[in-house]
This record gives sequence, structure tokens and C-alpha cells, in this order.
Amino acid sequence: MESASVPSERVRPTGGAQAWELISKYGLIALLIAFPAYYAITDVAAGDGLSRIGENLVAGISNGAIWALVALGYTLVYGIIELINFAHGDNFMIGSFVAFGLYGVFGLGLGTGALGLAVGLFACLLISMVVSGALNVMIERVAYRPLRNAPKLAPLITAVGVSFILQNVGVLWLGASQVGIPDLIDAQRQVVEIAGVPISRSDLLAVAVTVPLVALLTAFVNRTRLGKAMRATAQDPEAARLMGINVDTTISLTFLLGGLLAGAGGLIYALYQTSVWYFQGFTAGLIAFTAAVMGGIGNLRGAVIGGLIIGCIQQISDNRIGNEWTPAVVFGYLVLIMVFRPQGLIGEETREAG
Amino acid sequence: MAALGCLFGVFALVVAACGSDDSGGGGGGGGGKASGTTLTIYSSLPLQGTSKGQSEAVISGEKLALKQIGGKVGKYKIKYSSLDDSTAQNPGNADDGQTAQNARKAVQDKSTIFYLGEFNSGGTKISLPILNKAGIPQISPSNTAVGLTTDEAGADPGEPKKYYPAKTRTYARVVPKDTIQGAALATTMKEDGCKSVHIFNDKTTYGAGLGRNVEAASKEQGITVEGNDGTDRNAANYRSLATKIKADCFMGSGVTGENYVQAFKDVAAADPDIKLYGPDGVAEEAFTSTKKGIPASVAARTKITVATLGLKEFKRRGNAKAEKFFADYASTYGKTNPDPYAIYGYETMALALDTLKSLGNKANDRQAVVKKLVGGTKGRDSVLGTYDIDKNGDTTLTDYGLYTIKDGEPAFQKVIKAQGAK
Repeated sequence: MESASVPSERVRPTGGAQAWELISKYGLIALLIAFPAYYAITDVAAGDGLSRIGENLVAGISNGAIWALVALGYTLVYGIIELINFAHGDNFMIGSFVAFGLYGVFGLGLGTGALGLAVGLFACLLISMVVSGALNVMIERVAYRPLRNAPKLAPLITAVGVSFILQNVGVLWLGASQVGIPDLIDAQRQVVEIAGVPISRSDLLAVAVTVPLVALLTAFVNRTRLGKAMRATAQDPEAARLMGINVDTTISLTFLLGGLLAGAGGLIYALYQTSVWYFQGFTAGLIAFTAAVMGGIGNLRGAVIGGLIIGCIQQISDNRIGNEWTPAVVFGYLVLIMVFRPQGLIGEETREAG
Repeated sequence: MAALGCLFGVFALVVAACGSDDSGGGGGGGGGKASGTTLTIYSSLPLQGTSKGQSEAVISGEKLALKQIGGKVGKYKIKYSSLDDSTAQNPGNADDGQTAQNARKAVQDKSTIFYLGEFNSGGTKISLPILNKAGIPQISPSNTAVGLTTDEAGADPGEPKKYYPAKTRTYARVVPKDTIQGAALATTMKEDGCKSVHIFNDKTTYGAGLGRNVEAASKEQGITVEGNDGTDRNAANYRSLATKIKADCFMGSGVTGENYVQAFKDVAAADPDIKLYGPDGVAEEAFTSTKKGIPASVAARTKITVATLGLKEFKRRGNAKAEKFFADYASTYGKTNPDPYAIYGYETMALALDTLKSLGNKANDRQAVVKKLVGGTKGRDSVLGTYDIDKNGDTTLTDYGLYTIKDGEPAFQKVIKAQGAK
């Protein structure tokens, strides 16, 4: 988590180390840019213009926006208690399932009018956020809090256990196969074309929901007393406690925020993909955690940037290299970034990192 | 040092013991005789997930055939045991671990005389070597992957030898292999005026193999193949992959459980005019249902090939056995339009029972059963028509049915005479 500046007695880096820092940071950014740039140049050279790479990037940003919402949950929790909450992706899956269940409760179908759809989906968004948020708080209270002072491996393996429990809840709920759900918003219908790049409804939806939520979260963490308490707890829980901050409540609040974002991501995912399944949380969790690490774990901006970068790499790889190679390309990039810049692109914001 | 030596000795013994387990757990190794007067026929199919409907249809067909002979062949009582080769976490497909466990269960049971399955070719890849080593005859109601029986186009290196460690053929199937389905799909696309096709394959034994067969058959028939892309089951979507398709036709070589509802939806959305084709792997409710599968607008543009033919076609051919099957199925299960795989389930069991019947008192001799089944099945007059099982275990039937999707179910349209099919 982005913490306030911490006075520390760091060793001033030498000139060589500074140069390496700059090279590793900007070299990796250049390497990331090189991926779309290469295809853009080949497209232009072939006389095809920039619309194809534009399509890839638009799809990447909209997909990445969903990953970013999930990644924020990982980064918030890691930032404050340094736990990889493996169950977070599955909480996101539960958010999707709740949203789909609410379609039936609110009678939302292909024949529902625009106003009914807007009101109904907004209600679905709020409820799925609340359910996922409450679930995350409950998981923290039941499975993680009792292990607060246990060795680090104990909560880690508990998180894996909770993940499996949620997956099995998903299997019992909707079965173990992908379930097609009504395409309420005609997700892939083109809304507008900009410079030959079509923008679909689902692209707009993903960005329109993600941007305000991320802005609200950032404002909450940076400008409110509770946000300040979160940052203080992230820096030093003992000192925060001595200063009168209720650390347990603050940690619960962090889990609540992560869960709220997972619930929102769940609804967007359901509307975007028009199918849900119990394993979506595992896959999304893996990608989102990768995004959080790539951007710099504990860093809110890093999680968002990491999500968007992975979204774009995935879509470019799907379109240019092949869907079957996409996981290898994404994780290849992750390995590269970790080797040259273990703190991630933007930099870690954790107690360990200082 | 002595302690170390002892430790090494114990380790060697443990390793040797583990190694011997590879034989499949003992049992009737080498195809001996099944013991007792009760013979067991195992069925191993995915009973969870997207293939559940098809598997249940197969089981209904198998049970019907068994019921019609009163559950007995000569002096032997036949016990039917249905196993699930899928798991809750890996539904719709044969799970490798569960499939191996099913095969070992059959091997360890001394009364086993037949093993009917798997539904998925990828599952048979696992169970076949285990059963083959133990000499247990196996019939699949649905496997189409070429490499299970031959090394023709579509097979992987080392196939099919690696599935037959006993060096004898113990496996047969009642559906034509994918060289024929590939040719049938290419013939259909040609008839529909396709100039070019883009293929997605799900990277399974079945999907990747069929993809190669469609590719080869399409080229033979003058259709340009613009791509054959493997797909990742866990991908959230295939939108960007779909946007690169420039062909006028699309063929999704995979099974529903490998995320092929999403694949078809994304391809259809990327090009509103593209013609869509699918194989028997998607001829199931989980795909065709407009509630849980592809939307009605996509279903209207999709054609599917399945080896079975409709009741009308069987009537036109004067196949009295098929007509009787449909009537019996309706009276037993109350369904006049059974899933296309019900008739294959019936024929799988009927073939097994007739093979046993022809052997009289030797019906418990696995080696005799295998000999009679593979290569010994000649001019069999069946619900599917008249066919042989050749020395590789393949049926000589070649007709494929073309299906469209109506009211969320596959609807038989016509017979495809596949061009250039071997």
C-alpha cells in the first residue's frame, strides 16, 4: 500500500547502482512498449495502418481494467498484512455468481428495457459488492485473524484452503462447467469507432466502472482518516496501535475494500464475458496477483498499471502469437521484470520494502 | 555403511514394488479367463459437467440392450457397473487420474469381461494401455481420435503403438474415426460455398487431431486453411484471437467443456457473417441449449457433424433394427428424440453381448472375446447399419449426419457422404 513517507536510514546508492536502477526501470518499460510497437511497425509497413494494434490495445485495456480491480484486492491485503490472499480470486468468482443469481431475482433478461436494465444492474453491482465485501471480512475474521501471530506459512496455507472451499461452493452452486448467461448489454455491439478502432459496449462498461472505483479507492486511502489509519498500519502495526489506531478494525476495513472491488469486478466479468464458472476466480486470481507483483506489490497505482499491462500483453499475444502461448508470454514478461526489477515496475510499498 | 546398504536395499525393494504396480494392479493379466458365472461389464463415462447428457444417453442405450437379453448370455449372468471418469473439479471430460483408477478397478475385478468407454479420446489414451496389458476387451461408443487405432494423418508420433503394450489389439469403436469426420466437415463446408476456413482446436487428443484432419481434408477439397489455432481452456475469452479471422468459415475443433461456448460466441461476434461449424464434441445440450450454451443467434448459424443418423434416415434405409431401437427407447424412457449418442450406447453394449453370445461357454475367455471382437466382427447387422470391425479396431461405417440446432437441440438434416474419406 502506498504509505506516507517513512524516515529511514537508507544507504545512499552509488552512481553505478543509480544507473542500474534507471536502466532496469526504464529498460523494462521500453521492453514493454516494444511489444506493441513492433507489431504496430509491421502493420504500418504492411500498409494495414494502426487499427489492428489499436483494437488489441482497446481489448487489452478493457480486459485489464477487470484484472486491475481484482489486483487491487491482492495489493491492499498484501500491503497491510503481507499475506497473499489466495481466496481473493475466488471471492471475485462468488461476486460473478451472485450477480448472475440476481439477474433472476430482478427479472433481468434479454427483453428488459433500458431503464429497467440500468436500475437492475446498478442494484446487482451494489449487492454483489456488498456480498463479496462481507465475505472477505468474514474470511479475514475466521481464517486469518486467529493466525495473525503465527508463522507466515500458516495463514498462507489457510488462504489456499479457503480458496478451495470457495471453489467447491461455486461447483455446488452452478456446477463445474462454464455456464453461458444472458448477454444483457449486447456486450460486443460496437458503440463508436475511433480512428478505425471499434469500441464495444463491454469495453466502455469495464472502463466506466473501474475508473471511478479506483479513483474513489485512491481518494479514500489518501484523504480520509481511515485511509490514513490503513497507511499507518501498513507501515508499522505496532506503532499504529500505540497511536490509538484499532489495527484489527483497520485490517477488516482493508479486506472489505478488497472484497467490494472483487464484487464489482465479478459483475463486470459476467456482463463482459457472458459466461461464468467456478474456476474463473483461480485464473483471474493468478493473473491479478501477477499484475500486482508486476506493478509493485502493495502499490495501488502499480496494481492498476500491472492489470492494464497484462491485459494488453494477453490480447496482443492472443491476436498475434496465439492463444495457447499467451500464458507463457505473460509469465515470461513477469520473470523478466522480477529478474531485473524485483520490486516491480512502480516499486513495492510494504514494510519489507520500507 | 551397513545401515546405508540396508536403506538402499529397502529403497530398491520399494521401487521394485511400485514398478510392478504399473501392470495395472494385477488381476487378469494377459487376458485370462474371467472367473465365476457372473461376468461384469464396466462402463466408464464423464457423468458430470457438459458431457453428462450425452453420457446418460449412452448409459440408457447400454442398459436397454442389456435389458433386452434379460441380463444373461448363455450360462453367464451379466453385471453392469457404471463408473464416472470425470471429477467435480474436472467435469465434462475424462479426468486422467480418475480414468486410470476406473481402468485399474476393472483390471482388479476378476469377473470383468468388457470395459465400455471412454467417451473422450483423451480418456481412452489413459485407460487403453492399462486394459490392454491386462487383456481386457474395450469398446468406445464415441472415440474418434485417429491415433487410437492407426498412424494415419491426425495421429501423434508413436501412436497407436504406445497404447498397446501387450502388442495385441484389444480395443474397438463403433464410430468412424476423425479422418472421416474431418472429410465430412470439409465436404459440408465445400457444399456451403466456403472458400476459406479458420480452425480453433482445444489442444486435446480429440480436438487437436480432428483439427489436423479437417485441415488436411479442407486442403484436399480446395478450401484455403487460414489458420489452426490452439486455444487455452482457462482463457477468459477469445475476442482478440477471433478478430484475426479473415476466413468466411470457422470450424471449432473441440469439446464444449474446453470453453467452446465462449469460443463460438466470440467468433460469431467478431464476424457477423461467418459460417460456423462444430464436430460431435459440441453436439450436446450444454452447447446447443440457448439457455446455458450458445445464444439463439449463434445457434442459427452453426452446423454440427455427428456420426449418427436421424430416425428418418434409418427409416428411409429400411433399417428395421434402428426403427425398433427408437420405438423401444421411447417406450422405456419416454423420449422419442433421444440424444444422438443413445444409439451408440445401445450398439456398444449390443456388440459386446453378441460377441459373448457367439462364444457360448467360452464367453468368459477374454482372449477369445478379443479375437472375436477385433478383426473377427464381420458383416454385423446392427442398429447403425451393416459393418465390420477391422484388425485395427475401427468400424467400416463412414456415414456422418449433419445437424443444425433447433429449439436448443441438435436436429438431423441429412447424411454427408464424406469426399476422400478413408
